[in-house]
Amino acid sequence: MKNLQFWACLVLAVVAAFIIAIWVPGDPRDKVVAAMEYGALIITFLFGFMVLAAIASGTIDISALLEEKAGTGGASMSRFQLLVFTFVVAICLLLVVVYKHDFPEQIPAGVLTLLGISASTYAISKGIQTGASNGNGNGNDGATPPPGGVIHTTVVAPPEAGGTVTHTTVVSPQTNA
Amino acid sequence: MPSVVKLAEWEGVILVAGLCGVVVWKLLTGEISLNYLLYGDARNQASPFFSPGRAQMLMLTVISAVYFLLQVIQNPAKFPEVPNSLIGLLAGSHAVYLGGKAQSLYLGKFRDLADSLVGRRQ
Repeated sequence: MKNLQFWACLVLAVVAAFIIAIWVPGDPRDKVVAAMEYGALIITFLFGFMVLAAIASGTIDISALLEEKAGTGGASMSRFQLLVFTFVVAICLLLVVVYKHDFPEQIPAGVLTLLGISASTYAISKGIQTGASNGNGNGNDGATPPPGGVIHTTVVAPPEAGGTVTHTTVVSPQTNA
Repeated sequence: MPSVVKLAEWEGVILVAGLCGVVVWKLLTGEISLNYLLYGDARNQASPFFSPGRAQMLMLTVISAVYFLLQVIQNPAKFPEVPNSLIGLLAGSHAVYLGGKAQSLYLGKFRDLADSLVGRRQ
C-alpha cells in the first residue's frame, strides 16, 4: 500500500478524536471542540514526525542542503547563514511561546530585517553565481586566460548539425611582472 | 488528560528540536557537506581559494546567532530587539562578501587583475 505512514497518521488522529468524543465525560459541545483540537494536534505531530523520520533515515535527501552548485560538493556560505538564522529565530520564538504560553504580540522589526538581509544575500549570491556560469565569468566564453594560463574549450555540435567536435586552446604568454 | 496548550507546546518542542538535531547531526557526521565553506571561486581559476570575505561573514554570523540566543535565554518573556549597530555590521559584512564574490567571478582575483594590468602596460 502506497503512503502507508500517511494513512496510519490519519487513522490514528480520527481514532483519537472518536475516543475523546465517546468516552470522555462532559458537555457534548465541549467534547466536539476537544475532539477536533486533539485530532488536529495529533495529525500535525504525526505528519511532522513522519517528515523528520524520513529526513533522519535519508528517504528525504538533504545532503545537498548547503551545496552552492549541485553535484560540486562546495558548501555555500549564504545558505549556511540562512540556515543558522532560521534555526536561531525558530528556537527563540519557541522559547518565548513556551515561556509566555502565548504568541508574541509583535515580532521586532530588527529580527525581520536580520532574516531579510540573510535571505536577500542568498538570492543575490545565487544571481551572481548563475550569471557567472552563464558565460559572463567562470564560463570563460571569449575570456582571455591569466598570464601563463591555458584555456581549453570543447564544443560538440548536435547530431543534426553533423556532430562535429571543435577543440580550442588559448594560451596566454607569461609576463614578468 | 493533558491540556491542549501543554500538548501543543511539547509538540512544537519535539518537532523543532528534532529538526535542529537531525540537521546538526548530519552536519557533524558529514552527510551535509561543509567542504569549501570558506573557499571561493574565481574567474579563470580551476581550484577554489581561501576567501576572507566568507571567513568574516562566518564569524559575524556565529557571533550574532549566539548573541541573539543568549538574549532570549536571559529574558524569554519577549523577543529581543536587535541593535541597529548589529544590523549595520551584518549588512556591511554581506556587502563585503557579495562584492568579493562578484569581483572574483566576473573580473578575477585582485592579483590576476593587477598582473594583467601590469602586463598590458608593458
